[in-house]
Amino acid sequence: MLFLIEIWESVRDFIATGGDVLYIVAAVLLIMWVMMIEKYWFITGVFPGIKKDIIAKWDAREDTTSWYAHKIREFWISEASEKINERMLSIKTLVAICPLVGLLGTVTGMIQVFEIMANQGTGNPRLMAEGISMATIPTMAGMVAALSGVFFSTRLEAKAKLAKEHLVDSLPHH
Amino acid sequence: MKKVFKSIALAATMTLSAGVALNANANTATLDKLLEQVKKDRISEGKINKKREQEFMAARADKQALLKKAKSELAAEQARGERLKNQFAQNEVTLAKKATELENAKGTLGEMFGVVRRAATDTMGSISGSIISAQYPGRDDLLVKLAEAKELPTTKELEELWIALQTEMTESAKVVSFDTEVVGLDGETSVQRVTRVGNFNLMNDTNYLIYNIDTKQVQPLGREADGHYLAAIENFTSSASGEMAPLFIDPSMGNLLRLNTQKATLEDRYHAGGIVGYIITGVLALGLLIALERLITLSLMGSKMRSQLKNTANPSDNNPLGRILKVYHNNKNADVENLELKLDEAILKEIPKVERGVTVIKILAAIAPLLGLLGTVVGMIETFQQITLFGTGDPRIMAGSISMALVTTAQGLIAALPLIFVHSIVAAKSKSIMHILDEQSAGIIASHAEKEQA
Repeated sequence: MLFLIEIWESVRDFIATGGDVLYIVAAVLLIMWVMMIEKYWFITGVFPGIKKDIIAKWDAREDTTSWYAHKIREFWISEASEKINERMLSIKTLVAICPLVGLLGTVTGMIQVFEIMANQGTGNPRLMAEGISMATIPTMAGMVAALSGVFFSTRLEAKAKLAKEHLVDSLPHH
Repeated sequence: MKKVFKSIALAATMTLSAGVALNANANTATLDKLLEQVKKDRISEGKINKKREQEFMAARADKQALLKKAKSELAAEQARGERLKNQFAQNEVTLAKKATELENAKGTLGEMFGVVRRAATDTMGSISGSIISAQYPGRDDLLVKLAEAKELPTTKELEELWIALQTEMTESAKVVSFDTEVVGLDGETSVQRVTRVGNFNLMNDTNYLIYNIDTKQVQPLGREADGHYLAAIENFTSSASGEMAPLFIDPSMGNLLRLNTQKATLEDRYHAGGIVGYIITGVLALGLLIALERLITLSLMGSKMRSQLKNTANPSDNNPLGRILKVYHNNKNADVENLELKLDEAILKEIPKVERGVTVIKILAAIAPLLGLLGTVVGMIETFQQITLFGTGDPRIMAGSISMALVTTAQGLIAALPLIFVHSIVAAKSKSIMHILDEQSAGIIASHAEKEQA
C-alpha cells in the first residue's frame, strides 16, 4: 500500500513540475491504449469466431462462381474488414497527436518563462527554471507516448491486414 | 590752404622780433623794481615761518598728551583680556566637569535613548505599511518624531511608543469591521464598510482592498482576484458572528494580491495573440462547425442506411443505399454487365455527398499551426524592431513581445489538435459509408436477388 502511495507521490511531483499539459498527454495516452487493447482483443479473441461463421456460410453455398456469388463474397469480406479496421484511424490519429500535445506544453512553458522575464527581469534564474521544466517535460512525455503508440499501432495494423488476408484465402471459389 | 598758413606765420615772427628790439631800454627799470619787491617779501616770509613754528610747538605738546592717554588705555584693555582669558579657561574646566556630572547622572538612560530610537525606526516601517493604519491613521507621526529626535524622549513619548507597539500587536489578532473612505479606481471616494483580518487582508463585502502606503488610502485592487477567492469573501462577510467561515488570506500582507494583478489572465493571453490569433480562432470555429454538420449528416445517413439494409425489398429515396437499390429494382431484367455499370454510375453520384467537407477539415487542421507560426514570425519581427529602437538593455521589453509571439503558436496547436481529432472521426464515418456503397451494395443486391429467385 505504501508502495502505491509512493508511486502516486512521484507521479504527482512529475505532473507538478511538468504543468497541466501532462494531463492532456495522459488522457490521450489512456484513450490510445484502451483503443489498442480493445483492438488486440477483437483481432485475437472475437474475430476468429466471425471468420469461422463466414467460412461455414461460404462452404454451405452451392453457387460460388456466378457474378452474384462474387459480389456476395466481396460483401462479406468488406463487412469483416470494416469490423477489423474500425477505430484504426482514430488510433493512428491519437499517435500523431501525442508529439503535438508535447509541443503545446513546450510553447506554454516558454510563454511562462518569457512572462516571468517580462515581469521580474532575468535576475532570478530559479523563477525561470520552473517555466523551462514546464517546457521540456511535456515534450518528453509526448515523445514517449507517441513512441509507445507507434510501435504497437504498426503491429496492430499488420495484424489486421493479415487477418483480412487469411479470411480472403479461406473463401475459395469451388 | 597750406600756403596761406605759412605766410601768416612768417608775418607774425617778423613783427615779434621788431617789438623785442624796441622795448630793451624800458625793461631794466622794471627789473630793479622786482628786486626791491623780493627783498621786502623775504622779511614777511620769515615772520610767517616763525609763527607757524610756534604753532607746531604748541600742537606737539597736545599730541604727546594724547599718545600717553592711548597707551594707558591699551594697557588697561590688555589686562582685561588676560583676565577674561583666565575666566574662559576656568569656565571650560567647569563645563567639562558638569558634562561628566551629567553623563554620570544619566547613566543607563543613554543606552535607553538609543534603544528607543531604534525601536521607533523599526516600528515606523512596519506600522506605516500595516493595514491597521487604515483603521487608525496618523500613528506614524509620533514615531517619525522619536526616530529623528536629538534630545531625550519624555516619559509621555515613551508611553506613546509602547502603546503604538501594543496596538499593532493587539489589533493584528483581531477581525474587525469599520467604516472608512475607499478611493475607487475612477478616483471617487466613498465611505464603505471594510473588514480587516489581522494585518493580513482588507476587504469590503465583495472584494479585496489594499492599503496604499504612499497616499495612505484604501484602494481596490487593479484587477479583481479569481472568482473562487471572491466567493469565499461573500461567504465570510455574510456569516453570522461566532460562526466559522473559510477565507483566503494573503500571508504576505497584500504583496501576493498585488502580484496577482500583474499576472496575465487567460483572456489577456488570448488577446495577446493579436489579429493572427483571431484568424486562428475563426479557423477553429469554421472547422468545428463543418465537422459538426458532417457528423450529424453522416450519422443520420448511416442510421437510415442501416434501416434500409433490414428492408432491401422496399428502397426509399431518402438515403444513398436506397437510391442504389432503386436502380437495381428499375433494371431487374437487364443483364449483369449492364446492371453493374448502372450501379457504378449510381454510386459515383453518391460519393460527393458523403465525402463533402472532410478534406476541408483536414486543410483547416493543417492551416492552424501554420498560422500560429506566422504569428510567431510577426511577433519576432516586432521584437527585433523594438531591439533596433531600444537596444537589448532591458530584457523585459523583449520578453513581453516574445511571449506574445509564442501565444500564437500555442493557439495554432490548440486549434489544430481538436480539428485533427474531429477529422479522423468524420473521415472514419464517411469511409465506412463509402465502403457500404462501394463494396457492399452489389453484394446486398446479389443476396436480395438470390432470395427472390429462391
